[in-house]
Amino acid sequence: MPGKLSRAAAIVGAAEANEIGFLKQPVTSLQLHIEAIKNLSEQTGVPIAKIEGVFSTGWSSELCEHLGIRPKYIDTTAVGGCSFEMHVHHAMAAIHAGIIDIAVVSHGENGHSAQKIGGRGIANYGLGGGATSPGFEMTAAYGIGGASSNYAHAMVRHMHRYGTTTEDFAHIAKVTRDWATLNPRAAMYSKEKHPFGGPITVEQVESSRMITWPMTILHCCMVADHGGAVMLTSPKIAAGLNTAPVWVAGAGESMGHSNMLEMPDFTATSACHSADAAYTMAGMGPSEMELALIYDSFTITAAITAEMLGLAPRGQGHLLWKEGHAAPGGRLPINTNGGGLSFNHSGMYGMPLLIEAYRQLSGTAEDGVHGDKGKQTNARTCVVNGTGGALSTTGTLVLVSDE
Amino acid sequence: MSYKLPIPAKGTHTQPFWDGTKAGQLMLPRCTDCNRVHWYPRFICPFCHSSDLEWIQASGEGTIHTYAVQHMAFGAWAKEAPYVTAYIDLKEGDRMLTVLRGVDPLRPQDIKIGAAVTVEFEPADDDTHIPFWRLVGE
Repeated sequence: MPGKLSRAAAIVGAAEANEIGFLKQPVTSLQLHIEAIKNLSEQTGVPIAKIEGVFSTGWSSELCEHLGIRPKYIDTTAVGGCSFEMHVHHAMAAIHAGIIDIAVVSHGENGHSAQKIGGRGIANYGLGGGATSPGFEMTAAYGIGGASSNYAHAMVRHMHRYGTTTEDFAHIAKVTRDWATLNPRAAMYSKEKHPFGGPITVEQVESSRMITWPMTILHCCMVADHGGAVMLTSPKIAAGLNTAPVWVAGAGESMGHSNMLEMPDFTATSACHSADAAYTMAGMGPSEMELALIYDSFTITAAITAEMLGLAPRGQGHLLWKEGHAAPGGRLPINTNGGGLSFNHSGMYGMPLLIEAYRQLSGTAEDGVHGDKGKQTNARTCVVNGTGGALSTTGTLVLVSDE
Repeated sequence: MSYKLPIPAKGTHTQPFWDGTKAGQLMLPRCTDCNRVHWYPRFICPFCHSSDLEWIQASGEGTIHTYAVQHMAFGAWAKEAPYVTAYIDLKEGDRMLTVLRGVDPLRPQDIKIGAAVTVEFEPADDDTHIPFWRLVGE
């Protein structure tokens, strides 16, 4: 008996870059990728704009941005030369599941040219990963450094477009800190735990040290140490375990750009697309969400994401916090662990979102280790959204508790 | 030269742009099929996926799309802080990043989104003149 995935997908075309081998004129890895994809499109007659899934060794976000496409499935598995066979496996699963119908597995590697143009320190768009690309080449001269140096541009544009103020966003930091004071594992739980810990006021957020105007340090997440893991199993195995299952009702992913230079609308992220996919899969909508866990790298990230997830109208995401809805006891608790702003943020905050969502939906948020009285909510549904890069990429989940 | 700030490493297909900066000209890539300008330079048109691209001389005029003031900076830029970074909407289309000139970083409220800016070029090394944008009239 063949397996369920057997013949779920076919390879329908295969093409290479215009010139390959020991090229006299050095080429970049990115050029090899793009030429191959262009030739594949012409061979199959499938327009590049129709590509729904991109599979490549670490390059997928850069490729999608260069091609100007917004995929529904992004895979960057990079475990050596066998990665491309794995990409086919992963693409098959995605096609079988009905997530995508058209996938491209792409390769571009200037192994020979890199010896010439890599050695001179020239951006070869191949060595050094995403840091060397035409987007980086054309932005490297302008003093953009940490994440805040980019994200602040989004806050200024939001203020211009919607008339919001830094004080509006400061409420997000204040309310998120309130949640942290209920969580002994939060870095900013108390003054005893950290000199800057414990409750904060909107005025303190406004008057703290300026990092990137208009964002003071209390508009920014911390950079700490964190490790975490989650396990997924089939329903059959879940039924035999002692832990409470939390079901993945919906999932979606998308991206808008890689470099912020390519962000079309500084007040919107691809979360509207990833959330749409997740809600559709779940058969649920934003009004049915009783909890939200949102990557709050900065207060502006939380506000814009809340808008993209349909939890608030455009330009009014901050009101969820300012009016107390997201606070302890509110109608839509958000970032109940204390968020990246006050719980923990190590650089990539997606995992703490999952852990807190599990704890809330499995009823273990106040088990004596993970939360003080008032931290456990009654939520049975939760939307989880991670944002990567410079408001670039998004992954959204709809999680529900066991009935 | 005395330029002390980071100088971008150059790719294999962007030479017309850098040659232009040395001649005091802002060169932008344009698709000959759909006629749209894109920035940064591509190997393929991001709008219609044609490979037929050309370089055009741009007006060097634009407007401020959004901005921020960098108080915390790294490397050579640390000594320059605070300074204003801005995304510029180009007259010909698409957008460019810059460090904005002719503005006071300590009075960010005075900077207006939509304000007119013009490009200028600063010599950095023998191969590189770097474009910066300046508020018109400042």
